[in-house]
Amino acid sequence: MPDLSVTDLHAGYGAVRVLHGVSLNVRHGETVALLGTNGNGKSTLMKCLAGLLRPSGGQILLDGKLELGDVPPQDVVAAGISLVPEGRRLFPRLSVEENLVLGAFRSEARATMYEELEKAWETFPVLREKRRQVAGSLSGGQQQMVAIARALMACPRVLLVDEPSVGLAPILVAQVIDILAQLKAERGLTVLMAEQNFQQAARIADRGYVLVHGEVAFNGSMAELTESEAVRVLYLGV
Amino acid sequence: MDLELLIDALVAGLLLGGFYGALSLGLAIAFGLLDVPHIAHPAFALLGAYGAVLMQGWFGLDPVLSGLILALPFYALGVAVYSFYHTTFERRGTDAGLRGLAFFFGVAFVAEVILILLFGIDQRGVRAPYIGRALVLGEFRLPWRMLVASGVALAIAGAMALWLSRTYVGRAVQAVAQDATALSLLGADPVRVKRIGFGIATASVALSGALLVVVGPVEPGLARIYIGKVFAIVVLAGLGSVGGTVLAALLLGVIESVMLSSPVASWTPAVAFGLLLAVLGLRPQGLFGR
Repeated sequence: MPDLSVTDLHAGYGAVRVLHGVSLNVRHGETVALLGTNGNGKSTLMKCLAGLLRPSGGQILLDGKLELGDVPPQDVVAAGISLVPEGRRLFPRLSVEENLVLGAFRSEARATMYEELEKAWETFPVLREKRRQVAGSLSGGQQQMVAIARALMACPRVLLVDEPSVGLAPILVAQVIDILAQLKAERGLTVLMAEQNFQQAARIADRGYVLVHGEVAFNGSMAELTESEAVRVLYLGV
Repeated sequence: MDLELLIDALVAGLLLGGFYGALSLGLAIAFGLLDVPHIAHPAFALLGAYGAVLMQGWFGLDPVLSGLILALPFYALGVAVYSFYHTTFERRGTDAGLRGLAFFFGVAFVAEVILILLFGIDQRGVRAPYIGRALVLGEFRLPWRMLVASGVALAIAGAMALWLSRTYVGRAVQAVAQDATALSLLGADPVRVKRIGFGIATASVALSGALLVVVGPVEPGLARIYIGKVFAIVVLAGLGSVGGTVLAALLLGVIESVMLSSPVASWTPAVAFGLLLAVLGLRPQGLFGR
């Protein structure tokens, strides 16, 4: 039984249709990459999954029964799905620690707040050093770490990561991907990651879906996608 | 001006500033953190003051105690006012600020008219053991009513700072104006957070309103002279900083008090806005904003 399954999802903004019947699934413990260049609907799909955008059709199921897609974001978090949003969206004038503590806002997460905070400092030692600094003063790479750590404070079963590499220097992109790989190994987290950087995504993902014009154009294991002539043409135009 | 007069003015100014702080703290949350243009804030304080007058008439209660008791119904009032404001203005977006300003101006006006209808335009006061007496320290006479007002102001500030920094909802109140969407992604309902924040801000106004009538007699139009001062203090402080709000209030109190005992006393009412303009020009994030 897949943890998260999306069936024939349609969504858009007003009259602009962005997703035209997307179906995918993420099984327990898997890391799945949502690939494709900008403007093909990756973030729109992420917003639907997180409850920020109401789909105009289709179905989102968690564990095959719980229906999402028509519920507000706070209920999606309560169901066990946390989104690391595009652009990180930290609270810039709150300290790193305050940002993380707010990640445990929901009453079930408050009970384990101190343990999770300790885990976060272990995973991100550099953040422990900067715990009292306001989040807005951190570098882009560190802010991305705060965003991931903050989402983990809610103890999600499924972590959605939207474009973790956007606006980061290549070396920092590799660092963020390393951290996601580490989390995958240590915690057995189920991850769906939207990412346009194919090579970096390929380092940690088990499978991938390539979105083109709001539809799944290709899907398969990352090895298959890497070999695929069609995907290469799509990405490199050659 | 001789030294003794100056020290006298400084001390009186600190006490006055403490009282200004009590009046401004609720607004530091409502406007500074929640982005609600709540110009009816001093009018609500005046409702609290008249509440204390009534409670003394009915039950003979001490005004500060009345303020504490009134905090509960005022919390409910705040929740109701914010819910109405959210449904009718905030949710519709874009020009909520300006139309909200008109809404709260209307609320302030209605509050004033209700007070006139109920109490007439005569001044009302309260009795308490600390009103009309002074603490004499050598050359100085410190009125107990101002000492009580400042002390309660500091207590409100301390409680508010603890609430904002130590509780989940308090932290969420700080976060909600920075990024409401991000907050919802952490499992918090931003509207509920703002409702509670506005409720707490309004609850604190009940107590600071009681201080208003401790400091001096009240009349229905009194709120208007405080609108400018409290907004100046909140913006001067750097929006939403509790410690900054108290310091800015003390600063304004001291400057006003010193000016009052100087030859240019008639300029005193211009101090708040003069200071505000100067700070906004030189340091737009406010004196203590981060």
